[in-house]
Amino acid sequence: MPLGSVVFAFVVGALICLVTGANPIDAYAGLVCGGLGIGCTQGENPALQISNTIVFFIPLVTTGVAVALPFRAGLFNIGAEGQLLAGSVACAAIGIKFSTLPAPILLPMVLIGGMAAGAVWAGIAGVLKATVGAHEVVTTIMLNYVAQWLVRYLIIGGPLQLGPGTSKSVPIGEGARLATLLPADNSMIIFGLPASVYRVHTGLLISLLAAAVFAFLLWRTAFGYEIRAVGQSQKAARYAGVSVRRTIIVTMLIAGAFSGLAGAVQIAGVDHNLTDKYFSDTTGFDAIAVALLGLGSAVGIILAALLFGALHSGGAIMQSDAGISSNLVLVLQALILFSIAANFVGAIRRGLPFGGAPAALPPELPPAAVLMSEAAAPPPEK
Amino acid sequence: MSGLSDILHLLFTANLWQATLAAAVLLLLPALGGVISERSGVVNIAMEGMMLTGAFFGVVADLAWHNAWLATGVAVLAGALMATIHAVVSIQFRADQIVSGIAINIFAAGLTVFLVNRIYGLQDVGHVGPTEGLPYINVPGLDQIPFFGKVLFQQNVVVYMALVLLVLVHVILFRTRLGLRIRAVGEHPQAADTAGLNVYAIRYSSVITSGLLSGLAGAFLAIGVSNTFVPNMTDGRGYIALAAMIFGKWTPFGAFVACLIFGLGQAVYDNNSIIHVSPYLLSMLPYILTLVVLAGVVGRSTPPAADGLPYVPGSE
Repeated sequence: MPLGSVVFAFVVGALICLVTGANPIDAYAGLVCGGLGIGCTQGENPALQISNTIVFFIPLVTTGVAVALPFRAGLFNIGAEGQLLAGSVACAAIGIKFSTLPAPILLPMVLIGGMAAGAVWAGIAGVLKATVGAHEVVTTIMLNYVAQWLVRYLIIGGPLQLGPGTSKSVPIGEGARLATLLPADNSMIIFGLPASVYRVHTGLLISLLAAAVFAFLLWRTAFGYEIRAVGQSQKAARYAGVSVRRTIIVTMLIAGAFSGLAGAVQIAGVDHNLTDKYFSDTTGFDAIAVALLGLGSAVGIILAALLFGALHSGGAIMQSDAGISSNLVLVLQALILFSIAANFVGAIRRGLPFGGAPAALPPELPPAAVLMSEAAAPPPEK
Repeated sequence: MSGLSDILHLLFTANLWQATLAAAVLLLLPALGGVISERSGVVNIAMEGMMLTGAFFGVVADLAWHNAWLATGVAVLAGALMATIHAVVSIQFRADQIVSGIAINIFAAGLTVFLVNRIYGLQDVGHVGPTEGLPYINVPGLDQIPFFGKVLFQQNVVVYMALVLLVLVHVILFRTRLGLRIRAVGEHPQAADTAGLNVYAIRYSSVITSGLLSGLAGAFLAIGVSNTFVPNMTDGRGYIALAAMIFGKWTPFGAFVACLIFGLGQAVYDNNSIIHVSPYLLSMLPYILTLVVLAGVVGRSTPPAADGLPYVPGSE
């Protein structure tokens, strides 16, 4: 089903290109070159393209996990973006304030600070859900925008601004930066380019570790069992002695910590300061597609994050080589989401006309919908 | 404090309230759409995308045909088309309505910029001429009333339309048989189905209506206020409208009050020279206020009972 959704999106995307007078073959060739480094015609360096894909891949895995974990508890965390921004802000603030500290002290500080900030951001939604039953979808949307405006405030006229007229923050200290995977050495030539050109950084290991922690937590710990129990039926979980409220709050805290970590790693590993790029960042929304396309499993999330990482990296090349706006990638992403949610592929395979599903068939619900209908109900008062 | 008295003075100027009403209407139209859609049981977080699509196609049509009304029609239809996608995916295919809503918003953001690039290349979209936007109309006679004349009767034509629509939506929802049906379908679709109502048809029309209204808001923004299109120009207004809907407890007038509060905040900021708060900090306020409302500080806000649940005929 996930693969079918991707194929569906690319077919419809090609139709949109054709209708608007763009050549879909050129478009997709640009995506493949930019994403995978294969079949490049304009002299792009394949290794550099793969490096770029991995740089996009890193935060997608960590935020994908942050969406997938609450899914298992029947919670829809569409606030990964806000939590990521909170993590970026905390990382930048700590990295600037204590910029003179050495790396062994400062690096853990910025990463843990980012996780804590993300956890607080998601925790607000978790507590509101568990105590007054406020729907986490709505609260996390609101928190996303609060975080977005906070970033704008901080770096335009606010305390982190580099200088008047700029829209970026002071860079973080050297000790707060994650090393690149390749030595930052201009004399060393790797795949035809100086090693320092490749931005792949050690955050890669952190994101893979996050995926492993997610899988372990979910399947090998008592708390993971509680998460899944709450996700399947709050009622049954309560009879089994699980505290539904505690599970909801702790799940959101952990999810927020993952997103916050993604934001901190992005600052520490790639950007080294908050910039106006973060206003229009969409990683936390891409993460929803990653989690759904990956069917909520660690391996699936990694594969889906690779796909979206490649699409983002490829979008830039598609725009420069084929003259087709990189926003086609957003269109493809939306189509993938539609297709997974509605299970278009299943409908096509059954050969049924539009919506002709006879009432006798069990409803074809996507995994998210089953979880959502549980999640929609506030926990009953004890 | 002279600052405080200056603010108080500002509150008694007609200019301020004129700006407040205009800002509120921009939020009211999508909020009304949200109320209708969610009252029928379909969660709608896609107003942002529908509004953005409306804004884009409104500008494209106005630049091509130099007729604001034709362009508004195109914008409204474009909003409705996006809503139809949301309806098909979430009603017919019983997809998760949140995922579908997110997908609509991403789709709109991507498609509009993709099309800007296809149609206008790398150039700017261009500006709609001053006489080709939606007109500001002074109602003869009434606009001479002290204070209220300026606030209520010297406005853009869309403001008048929105106020009529506000009353209309309220009357339809709470005073007519159709409204009873919409609410029945949103509270208990099984019972409504048993009573002979066509659940799908009512939900489809409600969702598409939300698209019409959001498209109109997009037209107001693009060819009434800004007179051009810039990527992501709605800038979260669809989500503030969502907040207003919740703030107003899923009622048209409740949502309007919330829109007025949010609009007043905007207008006070734009019209004063005393408060030196960052505009970015101020922009957080609608979202924070909504969180406070959701936290139950201002009373519980409960959605329609079947909001967000796909209807499966024959299910319990």
